[in-house]
Order: sequence, then C-alpha cells, then structure tokens
Amino acid sequence: MGAKVSEHRWGMAIDLDRCTGCQACVAACHAENNLPVSNPEQAAKGRAVHWIRVDRYYEGEFPNVRVKHRPVLCQQCDEAPCEPVCPVYATYKNPEGLNVQVYNRCVGTRYCANNCPYSVRFFNWFDPEWPEPLQLQHNPDVSIREAGVMEKCTFCIQRIKRFEEDGTSGVQPACVQSCPAEAMVFGDLNDPESKVSQLAESGRATQFLEELGTKPKVFYLERAK
Amino acid sequence: MYLKGEFREKETATRAILDLKAKGFGPDALDVFSNEPIEFAGGVLDRPSRMSLVVVASALAFCLLTILFVRFTQYNYPLVTGGMPLFSLWSTGVVFYELTMLGAILSSFGWFLWESGLIRRKSPAPVPEVEPGMICLRVRCSEQQEDIASEQLIEAGATGITKL
Amino acid sequence: MDDVRKDLWRPLQGTSWRYLAVLMPLSLVTLWGLIAWGYQLDRGIGVAGIRRPVFWGFYLVDFVFWIGISHAGTLISAILRLTDAEWRKPVTRAAEAITVFALMIGGMFPIIHLGRAWIFYWLVPYPNSRLLWPNFRSPLMWDLTAISTYLIGSTIFLFLPLIPDVAQLARHATGWRRWLYRKLALGWTGSDREWHALERAMKLMAGIILAVAVSVHTVVAWDFSMAIAPMWHSTIFGPYFVAGAIFSGIAALILAMAVIRKTMRLEQYLTPHHFNNLAKLLLLMSLLWLYFTIAENLTVWYGNEPKEMMVFGARARGTFAPYFWTMVVCNFFVPFVLLGIRKLRSIKTAVIASVTVLIGMWLERYIIIVPTLSRPRLAASWGSYAPTWVEISITVATFATMVVLYLTFAKLFPIISIWEFKPHDRVPER
Repeated sequence: MGAKVSEHRWGMAIDLDRCTGCQACVAACHAENNLPVSNPEQAAKGRAVHWIRVDRYYEGEFPNVRVKHRPVLCQQCDEAPCEPVCPVYATYKNPEGLNVQVYNRCVGTRYCANNCPYSVRFFNWFDPEWPEPLQLQHNPDVSIREAGVMEKCTFCIQRIKRFEEDGTSGVQPACVQSCPAEAMVFGDLNDPESKVSQLAESGRATQFLEELGTKPKVFYLERAK
Repeated sequence: MYLKGEFREKETATRAILDLKAKGFGPDALDVFSNEPIEFAGGVLDRPSRMSLVVVASALAFCLLTILFVRFTQYNYPLVTGGMPLFSLWSTGVVFYELTMLGAILSSFGWFLWESGLIRRKSPAPVPEVEPGMICLRVRCSEQQEDIASEQLIEAGATGITKL
Repeated sequence: MDDVRKDLWRPLQGTSWRYLAVLMPLSLVTLWGLIAWGYQLDRGIGVAGIRRPVFWGFYLVDFVFWIGISHAGTLISAILRLTDAEWRKPVTRAAEAITVFALMIGGMFPIIHLGRAWIFYWLVPYPNSRLLWPNFRSPLMWDLTAISTYLIGSTIFLFLPLIPDVAQLARHATGWRRWLYRKLALGWTGSDREWHALERAMKLMAGIILAVAVSVHTVVAWDFSMAIAPMWHSTIFGPYFVAGAIFSGIAALILAMAVIRKTMRLEQYLTPHHFNNLAKLLLLMSLLWLYFTIAENLTVWYGNEPKEMMVFGARARGTFAPYFWTMVVCNFFVPFVLLGIRKLRSIKTAVIASVTVLIGMWLERYIIIVPTLSRPRLAASWGSYAPTWVEISITVATFATMVVLYLTFAKLFPIISIWEFKPHDRVPER
C-alpha cells in the first residue's frame, strides 16, 4: 500500500505585523482540542499544555522597547526531525502533509519532543483534568489523551476531515478562525489560487528556523528588513 | 573397557599419551581429565575444531536474515512513513550489526556445547574422579589390549592404574 | 591448590551477621525503589521532576551511567584476555559479574522512563493483528537490539568460565545448592575435549564481546548525538561515551574488588599489584576523558554558535556550573593527584579515586543530558529541572540493587575463578 498522492497540502500563513499578541488563538485551541487544564503548581513546573503559544520577544531599552509576538505552533515540517526518532511510528507525515501524532501508538519515550527545535510538543504527565464545569465543554470530535502520551497541534485535523467529508466551503483551524486581527490564513498549498499559497510566495514570507532544513509549512510574514 | 592412569605431572602424562599412540591407540580412545586445562604441546593430543568457521558463518547468516527480515517486514506491513524510505540501509545498519554479533555469540555458545560433548547423548563411558592436581588419562581398550595399555601407563610413570 | 580452593570456597559457606546486616537494609532500599516506581506507574510519570523542555532527566542519566558501568567486565575480561595479561585472572569473574548486573539494572531504565511503561513491548517486532511495526530507524530501537545482544553475550561470557567451578562445587555441596550446581554444570567432566572447546569459545567470545561493548555504548551515545539539539549533535559522542564507560567501569571494579578483598579476606589473591595495575588504567582513562572533554568543549566555545553557546554558558558559568566543575575535579584532578603521584598510589587512594570518579561520571551524564534540554533553541521555552523523591528513590535503589545482586552472586559462586587461577600464576607481592 503506497502513499496516496492527496489533492491537498495544508499550510498556514501568519502575519506577524498584524498579530497583537492577544492569545485568542491559544484560548480557541484549548476549547477546540480538549486541551488539559493545568493548575498553578503544575504550570510553575512547566507542565502546562498550549498547542499554540505566543512567544514574546522584547527589543531595545526603555522607553524604546519593541515587542514582537510570534504565535508558535507545530510547523508540520516536511522533513520533521521528530519523525525518524520515534521507535513505534507514533508520529509520521500523512499524505496531506500533516505531521500526525497517533495517541494510541505512543509509548511515551519523549524523544520526538527532545528533537523538535520549535519546542511545540507537549506531554501528558498525568491523566487530564478539567475544573468544573469545563469537562462538559469537550469537543466530541477530538479524543482525550491519557497519561503518558505525546500531543501537539494537528492543524485541527478533525475539522479538515469534516471538510473533506462534507465538502463545505473553507476549513479553518480554531486558531485561524478566532484571530480578531485576521493575522492567520489557512489553506491548501497545492492550490495556486488559494490565499495561503499567494502569501507563501510573497516577498514577506519567511520560515521559522529555516536554516535547520525542516521545511515547515507555516509561513511567517514579516516586514522586509 | 576403560583404564584410568593417574599422573602428577604434565610431562609424564605426555609421555604416556605418546607411548599409547605409538602402540596404536588413536586420539579417540584417549581422554584426559583434570581440574584445570592442561596445555599439551602441539601434536600430542590435538582436537581439531571448526568453531571459528561455525561462528563466522552463523554471524553472516544472522546478518543476512536480519537484513531480509527488516526489508520484507517494512515492505509487507502497510507502513506509512510519510516520505521516509521504507528500507534505509544506513539508518538501520546498527540493528544489522548487533544481530550479526548476536549470531556470533549464540553460535559460539551453542557450538561449544556441541563440540565439548556436553549436550550429546550421554556416552556410557565412566568418568574418573579427579583429585586436585591430578591428571587422569582414560584409555578405551579391548580386553586383549589391556595389558599393553597398562604397561605403557606404568612405564610413563603413572602413580596409579585402575580399571573403570 | 587445596588451600586456594579452601580460601575461595569459604565465603560460600554460611552467612555471617555482618553479611545479613548489609543485605537486609539494602533489600529494603530496593523495595522502596520498587514502591516508588509503582507509585509512578499508578499516578503517571508526572510524579517525577521531568517537564517541558527537560523531557529526559534522572532516568536517562541513570540509564547511561549503568550501561557505562557495565563496561567493567568488557575491559578486564575481553581486552586483557586478548592481550594475555596474566594479572587479570583473579579479577575476571568479579568484573564480569558487575557487567551482567549493571546491564540488568541499566536495561530497566528505558522501561522506567516511558510514559506508558506497560506497553514497552511494542518496541519489539512481533506479528500482531493491528499491522503495527516498530521503527528500526530510531536510535531507541538500536538501543533495544544493542543492549539485548550485550546482555545475552555478557551472561554467556560470565557463565562459560563458571561451568568448571560449578562442577567442582557440585561434588562437595549438599541440599538445594547441589541441585543448583549440578544443573548449571551441564554434566561437565573436565575432559580435554571440554577444556579445548571452552577455551576456544572464550577466546572467540572475548573478541565478540569487545566489538559488542564498543557498539553498545556508541549506540547509547547516539540517542543524543542523532538529535539536533544544541550540544547534543556532536560527532564525538560515540568515542566519548565508550571511553567514559570504560573509565567508570574500572572505577566500579576497583571499588568492588577492594570491598570483596576486605570482607572475604582475599588479600593474598587480590594483591596491591592488581590494584596498582588497575589504578594505572584508571589514571590513563582519566587522561583520555580529559582529552575528550576538552576536545568537545573547546570546539563548541571556539565555534561560538549562538544556540550552542547558550548551553555551554549554562554548563560552564551558569546554573550547572557547580556540577560541571565538580565533575572536572572528580574525574580528573582527584585521580591525577592520588594515582599519578606514585607515592600516593595505594589501595586506599585507588578506592577514594574510584568513588570520586563514580560521582564525577554520574555528574557527567547529568551535565550532558539536562543543560541541553533546559536551553532549547527557542529561548521562550527554556526551563529548569529538579528531581523529585521518586527519581531520587529509584536512583538510590539501583545502587542498593547492584550491591544486593552482587552479594547474592558472591554467596553462590566463587568470586575468583578457581580453574583460571593456577598456583604458579599467583602474582608476587609488590
């Protein structure tokens, strides 16, 4: 059974000049993907899970400080360093170019997380818990991950699957859908007419940590220096 | 029937073996029992061995089997590798190396068990009790040859001769 | 010859109160470690201190440490056997026992550190109805094959020269011991055919085990250097780890030998000459370790690559500096002074140097693993690591387990290989 050549190749463009750092994308992702809610004690130990996070970088001295916000999520690399090192094939690139994480298969060696240069992989250290009444708000399309399993952004693969089944127009992951500044664009890189393809080829498009050769499919649009 | 000659030194035992061989007793009929390995000079009581050959052959066999195993299972299982080649020699080379070595290890142990005679059907030959420091030479001989054998053993300097 | 046998069989008879006074508390410590692991299995691996981004912590440090200790036997038995060094004869079985037990302990850690340890067997290629297969590309799969091969090989390598001794013991033992020794002796009679086959097998195994041991610790090193994390992706890791393993292995051996020498009254057999030779080897490995450490750190520092320098700075000047410099003192300065100055070299100083080397080598594993993970490429994801009682308990328990296994072994089998130890080989006192 060889790899199907799919018609879609999903990618994303994030405009860093539009991003305000409001973190609506973070909240939306939590709601959509049943992310476990941490507590202050565990968060202080670095156990909080945010499939998409907004990294803030400060430049300059007061009063001439510039803040740069960069939403970082799984880059769905074409040459992902996390893939070859998993001993049980729990993570691999599917025919649509998504780097999928198979929760049932993961035994929890955490090698993939060590090898991800973007630090976008998160581990379930305990069984997930939600403070009342958030446990009633789960998305039925997304499975709950048990303790010992690795997880990360999936480009909301459940929405992509729905789109492919229903054929309704336009699929957007939760983060893209919720961005008030419309800084994020999602689409099919195989379609030259799609907005994301055009943005990816614009002069402002860069790739994060491009020099590592991971070939990410998330394009960051920045003012050309 | 079996005769046992006891010797205190390697030299006297060597003389006995050479004398018995001269009288027509082959290496198959002779066995030396001791609590430590006795280094006889070359040509005295050589036991040809095929162990090196067996070990090398097994190692190569394991290597080949492992390569075939990895290659065929990677192709036959519907694995989705997402662009990584289904069979990659260099990426999986370590596995081949280790299993080659495992083949060498298992075969050296297995052939040792065979060549030493430890796992063959127990022969009815009696085993002499060996005191510390003693070298026991066991001779398999027929009734007629008993006198010749005893004579050789005594001449070589055996400290005791018993019929087993 | 009879005296030798009497001396070396004496420890096997009866258990003194001193023996039990050591064995019992350590068994309790081992039990405590098992309880801690059980707690971890029940509650989730979050009870350990590991976190994002330091996904590997104490368990991996212990893993590399114990696999490193297992190179004790390889050096002594294999290398010294191949070079026909006579002085190794009383030392071989003690060293080979360390190897087997260290491998058994070290091999547990790839299971202990798993998030879902109860399905560790999914790394094994077995036919299943779900059409799943492991990924042979992964360095963790290489670990599996390498450590399994080494464990099987070391056990056989320990067992082979044990057969003649066990056959002797079977003649003089009673009760359940007699049954055990008879079974293990496999019907050994001491005929020259058996001796020849044994010696040939030992010679071949010595070469094979050496090849396997070098590959095993290289493969363990490649768990790190195959990753692209800063200061992990280094070509020197393979040889560095092998040298470090032999280094820590010799230290463990010196310590073990000194203890059994005192407690089993084997002063005539494990002489100052042996310790002198091992101390010189330890010194040599210390210098080799220093060479590799300088080569690794100097090139990183000179290259000045920003991400690597973050890790380097954390190690040499930052939060990890106390551990880093303690490691250098323990691994180089202490052995160099105590063993390099001939007047100072004695059994006592060799033991002190060995203990500091073991501490230093454990710290070295920590320094290799944790700083890199705590300083990933993206500075926003930096994090610090602190172990919890679970990790500390399991770590301490492995040391206790090692001693318990070793004591049990020394009570059942002569710790010095009697048949290899012919009277005229007794090395003269220095």
